[in-house]
Amino acid sequence: MTDSAGRSVLDRLDSAAGPWRTPRWGTIAFLGVIALVLPHLLLRFGAGTFIVHMLILFFLWSVVAQSWNLVLGVSGIYSFAQIAFFAVGGWVTALLSMNLGWNPWLSVLAAPLAATLAAILIGLPTLRLRGVYVVLLTLAFHELLGNLASTGPREITGGGYGLIGVPRFDFGPLSGLGHLANSYYVALISFVVATMAIWRLFHSPIGSAFSALRDSEGYAVGRGINQFRIKLFLFGFSAFFTGLAGGLMTHYLGSISSSVFAFSVLINVLAMIVIGGWGSFGGPIFGTALLLGLQEGLRDLADFRTLVLGLALAAVAVLAPTGAWPKLRDGFRNFLDQPGSGDPDLEEPTEDRSAETEEGPRLT
Amino acid sequence: MRPVLQALWGGILSGSVYGLMAIGLTLIWGTVRLLNLAHGALYVVGAYAAWTVLEILGLPLAAAIVAAVVVAAIFGYGIHLLVVRPLLGRAGWDSASIIATVGVAIALTAAALLIFGPRVKQIPPVVPGSVIFSGVRFSYQGMVIVAVAVVSLLSLFFYLANSRQGMAIRAVSQDMDASALMGVPVETTYARVMMISAGLAGLAGVLLSSLLFLSPNSGFAPMIIALMVTIFGGLGSVKGTIVAAYLIGILESTVQVYLGGSWSLPVLFLFMIAVLIIRPNGLFGVTEAHRL
Amino acid sequence: MILEVEGLRAGYGPATVLHGVDLTVGEGEGVVVLGPNGHGKTTLLRAISGITPPTAGTLRFDGEDVTGWRPDLIAAAGMVHIPQGDALFREMKVEENLLMGAYDKAAWPKRTERLARVYDLLPQLAARRTQIANSLSGGERRMLAIGRGLMAEAKLLMIDEPSLGLAPLLIEQVYEQVTAIKKEGLAVLLADENAEHISELADRVLLLESGVFVREGPAETLLRDESLLTAYLG
Repeated sequence: MTDSAGRSVLDRLDSAAGPWRTPRWGTIAFLGVIALVLPHLLLRFGAGTFIVHMLILFFLWSVVAQSWNLVLGVSGIYSFAQIAFFAVGGWVTALLSMNLGWNPWLSVLAAPLAATLAAILIGLPTLRLRGVYVVLLTLAFHELLGNLASTGPREITGGGYGLIGVPRFDFGPLSGLGHLANSYYVALISFVVATMAIWRLFHSPIGSAFSALRDSEGYAVGRGINQFRIKLFLFGFSAFFTGLAGGLMTHYLGSISSSVFAFSVLINVLAMIVIGGWGSFGGPIFGTALLLGLQEGLRDLADFRTLVLGLALAAVAVLAPTGAWPKLRDGFRNFLDQPGSGDPDLEEPTEDRSAETEEGPRLT
Repeated sequence: MRPVLQALWGGILSGSVYGLMAIGLTLIWGTVRLLNLAHGALYVVGAYAAWTVLEILGLPLAAAIVAAVVVAAIFGYGIHLLVVRPLLGRAGWDSASIIATVGVAIALTAAALLIFGPRVKQIPPVVPGSVIFSGVRFSYQGMVIVAVAVVSLLSLFFYLANSRQGMAIRAVSQDMDASALMGVPVETTYARVMMISAGLAGLAGVLLSSLLFLSPNSGFAPMIIALMVTIFGGLGSVKGTIVAAYLIGILESTVQVYLGGSWSLPVLFLFMIAVLIIRPNGLFGVTEAHRL
Repeated sequence: MILEVEGLRAGYGPATVLHGVDLTVGEGEGVVVLGPNGHGKTTLLRAISGITPPTAGTLRFDGEDVTGWRPDLIAAAGMVHIPQGDALFREMKVEENLLMGAYDKAAWPKRTERLARVYDLLPQLAARRTQIANSLSGGERRMLAIGRGLMAEAKLLMIDEPSLGLAPLLIEQVYEQVTAIKKEGLAVLLADENAEHISELADRVLLLESGVFVREGPAETLLRDESLLTAYLG
């Protein structure tokens, strides 16, 4: 696979790509075909139903994980409000379709809008403040909405049980394929759209601005990058798809309740990002698959699993801050023998920094 | 008169406990620059340690309180060894430290759940009973709590102001390099701060659990409020934190009395936002400097 | 020999500032390092005291090999480094700053007497003992930094740019103080930008340029060299 200059062809392709990186269409087409055909294959088997269900969860949660990664891992905004945005989306579409009789296809469009609105409302006062404050305010926001969801007015809490009986999507002429398969396609399409949008963002000039913000706020500001506006945009953008995922999940499951605010959910998604690959493009996707797989595989161990998850989070943060994905990807690339190929993903947080940066206490 | 007195007393009571928790957070932030999200877990560790000493070992309450402080301090040291030390000097400190402390918090809470079960536990009061005055109930336990908290806070304040190690802690928080040049072992100071602050969280745990109840997740809500107190008072300012603790305690209590419990968090949240817009560095915070 | 430095390399991250320098300071000797800004004077002192760990080279202090030691341990051995810009504990009172100077286990028991001695030497500090360090004027802050340095059981006093940010009259006063201290027998290593006031203080002078010593010699010889003086007084 090497040309006359001794470099691999793949190597040259990578380095030739400009700031707007082109995705590898071949791989994508291949995966796309598989994805489209998959439910038909799987649904022939009993176990297949479960797998399709897991795939739907995978598609939707990885959208959430990717969106949160944009905020947390890529631009260093320490927001813990992601689940809250997910819930806002879910609740809005549930209320609109249940109480106002909207067609779910319509109400689910309101979900991302509502979530983005919430993000902007929270972001306006919060994002101007130092990172530490963002943690607190977003955590408090999560807690707040969680309280509202469990002890608030009846219309919202459904008497503490949540909103049940949320109308499902009407697939019209395609209903013959079955609810599960159709939900799969809806989830798949959202996943593809969201992932592509995030990919474009990652590999655009704006994307570089994001990681500049994370790595060195001082530098970024000095270069004229308007922190606040970018942060706000990013915050809203990440909430958009998260809210959509929340809405889709609600219609798929037919319900939504305050259990979505449980700490365990927050931790699970956080783990998807951190263990999967913090700040990288593929990391959260990989992490979602990993976490969902573990969740099912270790279902019996419930609380013990949470303990291990917590330890894993801490261990990854301390020992391997970039997460599993970059290591896997680099290992794979080394295996394919692509010396020094350009990193097609955004740079992960660098470790070789001068002691003069403000990164925190030094051991002296 | 009655609701005012009730709000005031409730505020002083919770303010005392929030003060204990918030001081630890502000100390750690001021010196180590760490936002310790495992603080709530340390609260729980202390409380369960006390409960174990009381119910399993059958020892008196005083021993339980000591156990709460000591065991929590040990765990605090553990966090220093496992999280703070390895991360020192590395880039990405902010995010790594937050994630790592969250992970530790999850792990500790899950461990508590596994060991002690989800059922709620109670720590008996030192002095049961209460006195009614002006239509408001003042529990003796509440008075004990306030007394213990105030004494602890004052002792800490004194320690920081006058003792050799206390001054060293303040010095490290103001200028790490200069402190090293004076011969202050910076990393040992970090460990000391982690242990002191963890001990205080453990103390808050055992005190508050004697009034309310104890479950593995009990530490989360007090930690959120303690975070608010820390930020409101100005990150790194001991004086500010103590004042803020009582102010927030009284505010929360007032809201509870007049509007009902479910309103306290939303009101506090909005209040925080308002404060941070007007004074982004909190009541006593200083822009870049970190003072103790 | 109170200080022996050999082959010292240091810098910040990927950038090396000091490219292997050798230096000695004898007991009671006054050594002055001259050099323009940005050429490594501050890095030199920081590397010796350990705040910026050197990447190569050896250090011997008072006969002991202190290469790679933590700065607080080097300080405990008797090396006092008064950094550029004072590095005071700005929110602490004057007296507290001074007391911190005696933090070391050996110095702490004697802090009251040393405090009295410093107040004697620097009466303007005594007058402001309860004032917050931040509220002092530039000259007073410099005096406080020096006074703080004197609180320890110093075997070597290292001062980085004592003239920084001060009016000429104050610079003179500062140098008078340092010279008096040196005359009492304390070894002094001083780094500064210009050579105006060092004649009484310096036994030897070294010229630092781009991270290496380009000239070294007895103070009288170097200070009589006109071309040098113009270059460094300019």
